[in-house]
Amino acid sequence: MDISFSEQDLQFQEEIRAGLNGSEFPAHVREKQEKGLALSKQDMIDFHKFIHSKGWMGYNWPVEYGGTGWSPVQIYLFLNELALAQCPTILPFGLSMVGPVIYTFGNQEQKDRFLPDILEFNTWWCQGYSEPGSGSDLASLKTKAVLEGDHYIVNGSKTWTTLAQNADWIFCLVRTETTQKKQEGISFLLIDMNSPGIEVKPIITIDGDHEVNSVFFTDVKVPADQLIGEEGKGWTYAKFLLAHERFGIAGVPVVKVQLEKLKNITSDYNDADLSRKIAELEIDLEALEFTELRTLAAMADGGHPGAESSILKIRGTEIQQRLTELFVEAAGQYILPYEGPDGFKSNRTPAGPDYASPSVAQYLNYRKTSIYGGSNEIQKNIIAKAILGV
Amino acid sequence: MNLNYSDEQNMLREQVLKFCETNYDFIDREKILDSDSGYSKDNWKQFADLGWLAVPFKEDNGGFNFGPIELTVLFEEFGKALVVEPYLSSIVMSGTILEGSNHPEKSSIIEKIISGEHQASVAYAEPNIGYNFLDCHTSVSKDADVYSLNGSKSLVLNGGNANQFIVLATHDNSPALVLVEANAEGLSIQSFKTLDGQTCGELTFENVVLSSESILALGDEAESLFNKMVDLSILCISAEAVGAMTASYMKTVQYTKEREQFAQPISNFQVLQHRMVDMFIETELTKSLLIKATLQLDSDDPDAGNTISALKVQVGKAGRLVGQHAVQLHGGMGVSNEMSIGHYLKRFTAIDSMFGNTQHHINKYKAK
Repeated sequence: MDISFSEQDLQFQEEIRAGLNGSEFPAHVREKQEKGLALSKQDMIDFHKFIHSKGWMGYNWPVEYGGTGWSPVQIYLFLNELALAQCPTILPFGLSMVGPVIYTFGNQEQKDRFLPDILEFNTWWCQGYSEPGSGSDLASLKTKAVLEGDHYIVNGSKTWTTLAQNADWIFCLVRTETTQKKQEGISFLLIDMNSPGIEVKPIITIDGDHEVNSVFFTDVKVPADQLIGEEGKGWTYAKFLLAHERFGIAGVPVVKVQLEKLKNITSDYNDADLSRKIAELEIDLEALEFTELRTLAAMADGGHPGAESSILKIRGTEIQQRLTELFVEAAGQYILPYEGPDGFKSNRTPAGPDYASPSVAQYLNYRKTSIYGGSNEIQKNIIAKAILGV
Repeated sequence: MNLNYSDEQNMLREQVLKFCETNYDFIDREKILDSDSGYSKDNWKQFADLGWLAVPFKEDNGGFNFGPIELTVLFEEFGKALVVEPYLSSIVMSGTILEGSNHPEKSSIIEKIISGEHQASVAYAEPNIGYNFLDCHTSVSKDADVYSLNGSKSLVLNGGNANQFIVLATHDNSPALVLVEANAEGLSIQSFKTLDGQTCGELTFENVVLSSESILALGDEAESLFNKMVDLSILCISAEAVGAMTASYMKTVQYTKEREQFAQPISNFQVLQHRMVDMFIETELTKSLLIKATLQLDSDDPDAGNTISALKVQVGKAGRLVGQHAVQLHGGMGVSNEMSIGHYLKRFTAIDSMFGNTQHHINKYKAK
């Protein structure tokens, strides 16, 4: 038994760290990240273009498709360094979601057409899964695609679509057939967001932010060559996608950075109860981090992360949420003035510490974490069935 | 990076598992607890014959020179079967201090322990000092060339059976570890049962005369040896707790599949499923900190002490959750003393109380 990283891995880590601290890193992005300010679409594009310029964009892709071909340990270290350098999250929709589906199940023409733009971040993808009537019971989805000649005609709506307002393309689960078993009539379709008949409407979340949207489809014509794999096999591809990228879902390095901030902020508060809660959170974080390392060691050994990785999602999001609560607790009454994620409209700022307002935003925003990506209750159902066998 | 156990370690696990399957079902255990000594002398002899009593000792002293990893393997399996034999006190606690001491005859003392012929225990707790073991009142004084020991010690594991005690005392205002024979003049022993069916003793020392050889360690040396013993003991009872948690959630899953109410197995109910998932999650998270602490102790990592505290906190919290959920999901059977499940809860409760409870270690972790 040995948990240390190899010399080569440590050298790799150094290279990544040096690259992230280098002068090519977009300074305006770093500045906003350090201040906890919202990033614009252009900021996100600049960041992703920087990652691409370093040759790191396909960090979780095989070399064959232009990826880095990195080992699980290297991917782990890379994501760790990104978080420590306070980088934005690499958007998962193209790189970790639709990309692997395309290179695994798509045809050559589709690979050539879509993969390079994902790696270069020329296209911004969004995910069309949830519907107003289909949340945890995703397979009950109703958005319909009917083949007419060489086009599908798509009608229906998707919801909670993250950053659809910025997206060029959407990958959708659509119903191409009404079958006895609801999972069987689902297909995986790529749709250009500029297609006539698509309407994006913002959904404002409780923190006042515009992150998610409703997307409506009215007689949208989608070329049939944008169907991935076989018609009716979409559920298989969707499940593959969900299982593919659990890595980093625990968010350990980000929480670590935030926790250090909280400890610095509260170091002179003399609040024994708060410092006890912080210590308990830190202990839970240590346990989670080593659980992730156990998963990593299993993968490095050639295994696959099993349903155990559901632990990472459940406990990771619980810890993220508890951390936001502790920031709010630390700020006390000064959380009260809050006008939204973009700060205050007047030039004067209200009384209280700088971190008070971002703490509220984060607290409210992070309620989503135990809901998205398969709610924590669904994750428990998965563990109950797959591991406990009940 | 490799978290696989070696073939040797897996074989040891298999061996303990098999032993417990054959010799340690719940009825066997009940008989052992009802016996005069509170443990099985036959089992202890078998532990010796199987070489388990030699596991952590150095080869010079007749041991296998195994480390924390092997000890956690043993204790995890002990925990599953709720083994009560005094391995912790005689081998881990006494062994650690004896091996690190300067006693001229330590090899022959250890030899007797490894053979199973002798048992030792460490007397570290006192009536009024809580978990601040080093602030003890029991003292060693020196008059002319004669050392003598006065005071009292409590909660001495296996106190009624041990042949020798290693006593934590003060000497010239600094810590001392001294070796006392159980039959020494001036030592009186009162044995008690513990909440989980094991035994502990209250020791009173009245002018117990000590030879100069029996001063095992003094000052900083005594303190660091004592702390080393505590860290390793916490690791071992944590491994035991992980084994007990594993058994608790597995037995609970099994029980809910068999128990029918409302014309179906109660495992169908989502409320119960999610509770069992919580038991599983807490067990796995505890296992993670256990492995982390094991590897850090194994490599003398300076962070090991913090991780030990983190582990003890997790063991305390997880043990409570797993133990209580297991009892709850067994319904009335859970609170019946004739079922094993409640005995796991008792063991978790005992383990949390030892060497600093959850609260104590949160404060220690906080102060790091």
